[in-house]
Amino acid sequence: GESSGTIEEKKVLKRQIKASHTLLKHEGISTTSQPTKSLVVANGGLGNGVSREELSAVLKEMGELETLIMHPHKPYAFVTSHCPHVHLNGEKLQCGGNSVTLYLSFVDSVTCEEEASVPLPEGLVLVEDFVSPEEEAQLLAAIDWSSANDDITAQKALKHRRVKHYGFEFRYDNNNVDKDKPLPAGIPQECLPALELCVRNKHINIMPDQLTVNQYESGQGIPPHVDTHSAFEDTIMSLSLGAQTVMEFRHPDGRLVPVVLPGRSLLVMKGESRYLWTHGITPRKFDTVPACDPQSPALTPPDVRTHSNLTLSKRGTRTSLTFRKIRHEPCRCAFPSACDSQGAPSTSPPSPPSLPRCHDDAAQLEEEYVHRVYDAIASHFSSTRHSPWPQVCHFLSSLPPGSVLADVGCGNGKYLGVSTEVIAVGCDRSSALIQICAERGFQAFVSDALSVPLRSATCDACISIAVIHHFSTQERRLAAVRELVRLLKPGGRALIYVWAFEQEYNKQRSKYLKEQNKEHPENHSPINKASEDSHRPVDNIQDVSKVTDGKLSVHTNRTSFNTQDLLVPWHLKEGKRQGEEESGEGSESSPVPVFHRYYHVFQQGELELLCGQVAGVKVQSSYHDQGNWCVILEKDSIEMN
Amino acid sequence: MKLLTHNMLTSHVKGVTKGYPLLIKATEVKMNEVEFNPQFVSRMIPKLEWSALVQAADELGQRQDLPGELVPDYEKNEDFLKKVHRLLLEVEVIEGCLQCPESGREFPISRGIPNMLLSEDEA
Repeated sequence: GESSGTIEEKKVLKRQIKASHTLLKHEGISTTSQPTKSLVVANGGLGNGVSREELSAVLKEMGELETLIMHPHKPYAFVTSHCPHVHLNGEKLQCGGNSVTLYLSFVDSVTCEEEASVPLPEGLVLVEDFVSPEEEAQLLAAIDWSSANDDITAQKALKHRRVKHYGFEFRYDNNNVDKDKPLPAGIPQECLPALELCVRNKHINIMPDQLTVNQYESGQGIPPHVDTHSAFEDTIMSLSLGAQTVMEFRHPDGRLVPVVLPGRSLLVMKGESRYLWTHGITPRKFDTVPACDPQSPALTPPDVRTHSNLTLSKRGTRTSLTFRKIRHEPCRCAFPSACDSQGAPSTSPPSPPSLPRCHDDAAQLEEEYVHRVYDAIASHFSSTRHSPWPQVCHFLSSLPPGSVLADVGCGNGKYLGVSTEVIAVGCDRSSALIQICAERGFQAFVSDALSVPLRSATCDACISIAVIHHFSTQERRLAAVRELVRLLKPGGRALIYVWAFEQEYNKQRSKYLKEQNKEHPENHSPINKASEDSHRPVDNIQDVSKVTDGKLSVHTNRTSFNTQDLLVPWHLKEGKRQGEEESGEGSESSPVPVFHRYYHVFQQGELELLCGQVAGVKVQSSYHDQGNWCVILEKDSIEMN
Repeated sequence: MKLLTHNMLTSHVKGVTKGYPLLIKATEVKMNEVEFNPQFVSRMIPKLEWSALVQAADELGQRQDLPGELVPDYEKNEDFLKKVHRLLLEVEVIEGCLQCPESGREFPISRGIPNMLLSEDEA
């Protein structure tokens, strides 16, 4: 019979068939050999790194095309034409400098996940080309970022983007404005022409009197927020200079609307878009944006709100000028749920906590930065706490058989099963961790270390391992030690471990510090050398707290401790979800949640001094163990008054 | 919560002086099988508040023929030790609550775990 083609052609056909099977199986796309107006381009998708521009360029060679649809994250694209391009079926093309092989097939219909175009939030207007490139340059030049202007404008170096205020300072600790303290510098003269245009075009009636300039580098953003109602009047205008970005608007009901803000565009937020929707910029280096093909306008889609015609846009430096009018009367908007003048809670960002000065503040700090965290991270935390420390085991093994042992702050029960000879019971503040103890068959209950529901003098021994450093005042740490001592029978012993300010002891770095390559090390702080010689409590412990304004700083893991009171990050590791696609830099992978735990790390001798303040007990021994300061206390044999 | 643990627990509500032993109100009790170690049980007994154990056993309907007072020479009495072993280690309260005998405050037991946390004003 007739030869059906060369070997090469047969190979292509085989791969073609395989590709079409894959498409059908995984994506539900069925190909056909009948000529149609629609083609699927396998391997030509945003999901496998092919940009719209690259694909367009290749396909254009093939003839006139009507539309090109590229869904985000998909490894294929759809092409439609006015008439069937018979010759394209079964075609194999090279793309992206021959690095990608495309397979084209007819399809009956374009499977379109295209949603109906999502409308912009009510009250939102985007005006493109609001200023010319020359005006843009002038405005950018008018902003002086040099610190020489510190006394004139309030220039702060926020953690992420750069910010500068004119007219009135916007405070990030309470998300409000000091209306009684205008800044020396008002809105720069260079902004007037643009503002006058805003008035002429009826975006605003009154000239704004506050300007906030934000400069975002690639990878920087701003968390979603609503501009405080009581601080500013309705209309808020944001002029974007420099690179384009994508701003996301979120409605309380969950709707998300991404809006591309090109350079030199003006964004006007009024009404619902200003008072109810939050707006924010996700910190990213690439955005998914609609493509713009100047040669084929038909191929350019309306905007990013439909899923067709997308490409990746690399971010550059963007400077936004946000003009606002200070509000002097309470807000009377139609959105009381988001209105701080009408009773809604002020949305202050989680401000860094301060060192507490009273029990109530301390309890609140510990609730947020200890208890809630442990409950949230319990299973991950437990999985990293599996090896009992040898020195603690030694203490436990030394207890006479039949001893009653209380483990105060037992966590996941790590030490409850070490000695089978003792009667062990554990307690912890975290229900989630106690649940793990129960699952392991240990006896444990939920309680606070400051008030343990055990009768006085009923325990032969107590341990409190890595617990007391979570108390945020000296009084509470002392109260915790007193509680341990209360539980002890006369002659009973307690073992206490707390994190050491000094991580390197006797030239030996702690295990914590040694594990440099561990993913997200949540270990102790930095090295501050302790000498073995001065085993006695130091006479005067230096005040190493260099905490500014009493605010607690977040510790950078595996660096030196600068202060004794700090927040230590915990990066939560969750199991990767099945089938999650990797889409390269353009994708918005869910960020790893980070929790902050409060610690007061102890200086050499500090724990001994603390225990020394408790009557009826003596420090039997004290030592340094793997980045911890440790004491063994012994209760007096005869109760003294 | 095993009865061994119950024997140790007390009410720590502020101002309460007679908070021990806590009353047990159980809605779900489970029986476990725990290896019998006569030596271990022998050593536990002196650490216990015997009357509290008897009271707890009564409340759970598990008293059977447990004596109201410790028998002499219990160390060698395997029968007795087995009864104590069963009560202390094999009976487990899964759901219910512990009640302070003086204030009436109830501490919930859920999934075998007593929650003894006090509120601000009770501590």
